Amino acid sequence: MFQSFRLAMAWVHTWFGLVLGFVLMAAFFFGALSVFDREIDRWAIPSTRFAPQPMPSFDAILRPAFESMQPTPEAIAEMRPRVDGPMPQRFDTVESWSAYTTHRDPVVALYAGFDVPNAKDPEEAIWAYRTIDPRDGAALPDDHLKIGSGFFYPMHYSLTLEWRSLGYWIVGLAALTMLAALVSGVVMHRKLFREFFTFRPDKAALRSVLDLHNLTGVVALPFHFFFAFTGLVIFAGIYFPVGHTQLHGLHDLHERLEADETGLPHERAGTPAALASVDAMVEEAQRRWAARGMAGDVGFLALTHVGDANGYVSVYRAGTDRIALTGEGIHFKAATGEVLREDPPPTAVGRVSEFLTGLHLQHFRHWLLRGLYVLGGLAGCACIATGFVFFVEKRKRQHAKQGTQGARVVDALAVTTITGMVLAALSILVANRLLPGDLPARGDWEQRVFWFAWLFALIHASWRSAPVARGERNPAWREQCWAIAALAVFAVLANWIGTGDALWRTFATYWPVAGVDMALLATAALATFAARRLKADAVVIATQGRTVAVPEAAHG
Amino acid sequence: MADAVMLLGALIACVVGMGWLALAMEPHARQVWGRALPTSRSTLLRTLGAFGLALALSLCLAVDHASMAVLVWIMALALAALLTAFTLAWCARWLRVLAPWIVP
Amino acid sequence: MTTPRAQLAARVAAALLGGYVFAWGFIAAGMSLLFAAGMEFHDAEFLASALGLLAFLAVFLWAFAARRVWLVWAALAGGGALLAVVGSFTQAALLGGAGA
Repeated sequence: MFQSFRLAMAWVHTWFGLVLGFVLMAAFFFGALSVFDREIDRWAIPSTRFAPQPMPSFDAILRPAFESMQPTPEAIAEMRPRVDGPMPQRFDTVESWSAYTTHRDPVVALYAGFDVPNAKDPEEAIWAYRTIDPRDGAALPDDHLKIGSGFFYPMHYSLTLEWRSLGYWIVGLAALTMLAALVSGVVMHRKLFREFFTFRPDKAALRSVLDLHNLTGVVALPFHFFFAFTGLVIFAGIYFPVGHTQLHGLHDLHERLEADETGLPHERAGTPAALASVDAMVEEAQRRWAARGMAGDVGFLALTHVGDANGYVSVYRAGTDRIALTGEGIHFKAATGEVLREDPPPTAVGRVSEFLTGLHLQHFRHWLLRGLYVLGGLAGCACIATGFVFFVEKRKRQHAKQGTQGARVVDALAVTTITGMVLAALSILVANRLLPGDLPARGDWEQRVFWFAWLFALIHASWRSAPVARGERNPAWREQCWAIAALAVFAVLANWIGTGDALWRTFATYWPVAGVDMALLATAALATFAARRLKADAVVIATQGRTVAVPEAAHG
Repeated sequence: MADAVMLLGALIACVVGMGWLALAMEPHARQVWGRALPTSRSTLLRTLGAFGLALALSLCLAVDHASMAVLVWIMALALAALLTAFTLAWCARWLRVLAPWIVP
Repeated sequence: MTTPRAQLAARVAAALLGGYVFAWGFIAAGMSLLFAAGMEFHDAEFLASALGLLAFLAVFLWAFAARRVWLVWAALAGGGALLAVVGSFTQAALLGGAGA
């Protein structure tokens, strides 16, 4: 149906790129922010602005915290449809306790999984979560939203749309589209090497926008490809749950074989047993890692079948100095502390799997690489954004003549997804500083502000988009740039006034917050530059009651 | 500290290497010097460019183990390519400093 | 004859739905055959999934480039189903043999 392979690829690139590009912008932008998610958490929750801490003592700090954890009423209500018979309000059979920390975490995340009696699925578990200060075990209030790791991060992989994993599927489709757009883009771009460094901002808008689109797409091509691909690989179990459906027989067979082989019991014994000193087990694990020449911190600590004779404790090394997230697991019998198993080195395929996952999730300590990741993410945003702008520029004069609204609609959506999305992100940060500290469900209110700000940006962009239907530029671009500049500066001021952490102080003493403030100021500067540039470009001449935009001639 | 210095060196090597590769291309040589270069000069620049990128990779490998070093290098190449492209677009003449033996 | 819009819709459906069926079958067959060949289960699952995703990308693009859309449907939906059967067949053989 297409005249040639190249034309077929061009069609896929244009139309799938356009439709899924809006989702991809969110994935790339919030993904870029997620590189420094924990630093954004520090900015959003001032009480956690202290230095990163190692995994604390289990016996002294973690155990009392775990023992007091129970699922929330909301979690219990959500579980009710999956239970036959009476719904307990307390859960006493603990399947697992786990704690995870990285070299960037001042606070520790705790997870407790409980057996659900009378559940329809015998493997069903109900979860409780808590964040604690590792220095004393004090719990962080539940409604202090971790704007970085608890909002921006899930935003980038699921648009926070949890209903039936719909958001995961949408982002997954967008990721597949990204891969298709990269391959089809390479097919379309005949002069990939010849035009590798080509960017001609002095030429007509269509040419210079396309140059920038090609530039940002090609120079970071490995990054764009690998992040889309590894994102899909990480969630492959959601998209293709073969092992839990069609081939669950093999999965269950493997679990039985593995339990026999590793000596780590799959089921509870049913007889209670005490818990030996976990701190002693952690010490032993660290001793063994050091003996292998791999001294390191504890990244992940997990207790399985808690309180049972079959219980075991697993200690994993944090992958701070490597791409893999955690590794070198050592498992101990919970009741006695004897070593049950040292995980063998990963297989070749296992190493590839660790590399691909760790490359994307980046829990390693390498500040340059993290910074370069943000650059890659922003390059991806620039690539998608210039794609939209090119689409509109190419068609708006033609649509103006025909009297159709297509270019106008795409332009309004583009403004919403580019400047509008930044405005929404800034709005949640500002709300975080302005809302009362003791407001119940504060995190929910912050999220509402985010969505309303984005909606407002859409309304503004649509309302102001009439000129596009005449073949001219939408003034909303410039107006939202000014709004970004103002909000970003306001956020920095609000942080200073609200917490007393002025930038010149945090610059020397607490770089996570200084970093966020500086990024906000840089955003304001960039937005100001863009707004002024957009104004210089469009000289409005009133001729016979009609306004005509004179682009590019009046370059500032 | 030594690591930071070597990584900085790797970044510089990437930027300079990309600059040389760009200068070896005719349209960019014209942007920078106003004329095309003889083939021998272009080849020299291309060779220097490849050498610069290779030096950057070896510096990256000296700091981190291979899997991380390769990622750092690939991302540094992207940054260097962008910087080169923007320099060519707005202040092409600055790149003359990379090949001072060529007379404009 | 079908309108261009209907033809495009058929292509998109073939690429997405046919592609998904093909990828599923690829992963099922790949996973079970690798496991049968002795690879650790989660390794087999990962490798088959990673390759399956790349296969999805390839057939997705092919669905638009191919001349005849009926061929695309046959290859992707048919091929995918066939591969899925291979997966189930291999599983049955392994489970029967293990006598579990």
